[in-house]
Amino acid sequence: MMRRMLSRTDLDALVRDLLGAGTRVIAPVRRKVQGREFVEYAPVQNPEEIALDGSQPVRPLKQVVFPPTETLFNYKQDKGLVQIQEAPTTFSDTLVIGARPCDAAALEIVDRVMDWDYHDEFWFGHRQATTVVAVACTDSDESCFCTAVGLSPESTRGADWLLIPAGSSFEVRVVTPKGEALLESNKSRCPESDVPEAGKASSAVEEKVRANLAMNPAKLQEWLGAHFEHPLWQKIALRCHGCGACAFVCPTCHCFDIVDELEGVGRGARRRNWDACQPALFTLHGSGHNPRKDQSARFRQRVMHKFSIYPSRFGEILCTGCGRCIRVCAAGMDLIAILAEIGQNAEEAGSTL
Amino acid sequence: MEELRELAKKLLQEKQVNAVVGYECDRRGVRPAFVDDPAGCDRLVFDHRCVQNLPAYLSPRRTNVAGLGRLAVVVKQCDARAVAGLIRESQLKRENLVLIGVRCGGVAANPNESRELGAETLALRCYGCSGTETAMADYVVGEPKTVPAAGGDRDARLAEIEKMSPEERLALWKEWLSRCTRCHACRQVCPMCFCERCVAEKTQPNWIESSPHIQGNFSWNVTRALHLAGRCVDCGECERACPAQIPLGLLNRKLAKIMSARYGFAVTDDPSTPAPIGSYRLDDGQEFIL
Repeated sequence: MMRRMLSRTDLDALVRDLLGAGTRVIAPVRRKVQGREFVEYAPVQNPEEIALDGSQPVRPLKQVVFPPTETLFNYKQDKGLVQIQEAPTTFSDTLVIGARPCDAAALEIVDRVMDWDYHDEFWFGHRQATTVVAVACTDSDESCFCTAVGLSPESTRGADWLLIPAGSSFEVRVVTPKGEALLESNKSRCPESDVPEAGKASSAVEEKVRANLAMNPAKLQEWLGAHFEHPLWQKIALRCHGCGACAFVCPTCHCFDIVDELEGVGRGARRRNWDACQPALFTLHGSGHNPRKDQSARFRQRVMHKFSIYPSRFGEILCTGCGRCIRVCAAGMDLIAILAEIGQNAEEAGSTL
Repeated sequence: MEELRELAKKLLQEKQVNAVVGYECDRRGVRPAFVDDPAGCDRLVFDHRCVQNLPAYLSPRRTNVAGLGRLAVVVKQCDARAVAGLIRESQLKRENLVLIGVRCGGVAANPNESRELGAETLALRCYGCSGTETAMADYVVGEPKTVPAAGGDRDARLAEIEKMSPEERLALWKEWLSRCTRCHACRQVCPMCFCERCVAEKTQPNWIESSPHIQGNFSWNVTRALHLAGRCVDCGECERACPAQIPLGLLNRKLAKIMSARYGFAVTDDPSTPAPIGSYRLDDGQEFIL
């Protein structure tokens, strides 16, 4: 079978072309802050900055289409007269190179809720302007579990192109019409070749990920639906500190808060900011009452939303198994262990449900 | 380890406490453990991966932990400084708590550290620590241990920043703080951040903008650092917890140095030592008052 191949040199040339044409290019970039080394998605000025070695960026790709803070409109107030200046909902062209498949898939999963009870113009404005080139994973760690939620280290979901590393080149898999358009303008860089199928490396990765967690999503969902009250929630949540780290590094968490902020006298902006269901403030009423009375109720919400509520409403698990929540948690909350424990409960309850 | 497990078992069996807060192994390393059943005490461990500052769970705001009843807590000497801080600030009564002091040979920076403890892996706060148990302990477990020699000068990174011009410093902090998304992990893991209502959550007036733009991020991180001046127990948990990789410990360390130079205060596990913010001395510097 003929496959389209792209060398790293030609990929760099492609990036240079786009940068020259004014496209914003976002890619994994290596950083070092006070001895701590990490990779993050960031705008690049030069293709040499792009790190495609498979290290997972510390923050997910969602920040590109759903910035941590975004201005919805600016306002001016002069006595009774209020003037509103709406923020634009069209955005400049952006190309993401080197998205992790778990990050790309999340975009498509979250599309569902963003086009449900209203159409989120900002989300879709960014989505429309953004072309996503994912790269199949060549490595995984003990926190990865994409295979348990129906994805894989070379999943094409949410991506316009998937690049599969093959030596110093990549096999190009074109996924969407947007991807076709990208190929159209780069055809000479992606010659057809009859090299054998790449994928040996990624099947080894896939096997490694599979060993981390096996899960039956339907059974899990059923058990969750029947066990809103269960001693498990209290036990699990004791160590949770109630911060928003897990939600803010999650590619699928999409809750936001809307605030008005003054910018001088009579002027201000309405912004929406990332929010998270783990801090107590999230559901605190003006009266002082909090319907989620303690951390067990808040952590239960996190699991329920991802593995029961969202699947029952949209037919999708609100998790791509990226494992970031596990890696960042200061308290050692481990979603893999928690899902395994719930899964075991579900197995045992199987006959009585 | 046996000594710790036997003691925990005894405390639970004799109903001296309802639960023991300690450490257990998990899939990746070590995490906090809450044991309320004598049979569960065999889960308890203590080694160089026991990084977490467990007194963070003692805040009365943690209603689910408070609901366990009377607690015994495993504390390293450095963790006991947080207990002392909570007592000093009337958040905790010493008699309501059993402290299991562990003799600690230093901890790694990271609870998932798989390497041996040495100059490279030693947490910054362990530099120069004696590793002895806290004088506050009701029980002491473990053999005396030696903390490995430090890998260098603990304050090298601070000194580097102090050498910079204000403009360079501002540019650096702007770059770092631009990554803050206001998840408040720094606050939630901090044993001394126990306010019923954090100033960052107040909206009438909105002292600190909740938006994670650079202005809001400076406002939040600088306010938090100042609120911890003379109160920070130097456990480093805020920096470890930060998913945005912000070197928050630098702010606290700088303030600790100022508190030492100006008020002769060093963080201690002696709850009777007054905190500078809660005491008045005639010789306190006041040249800044017009």
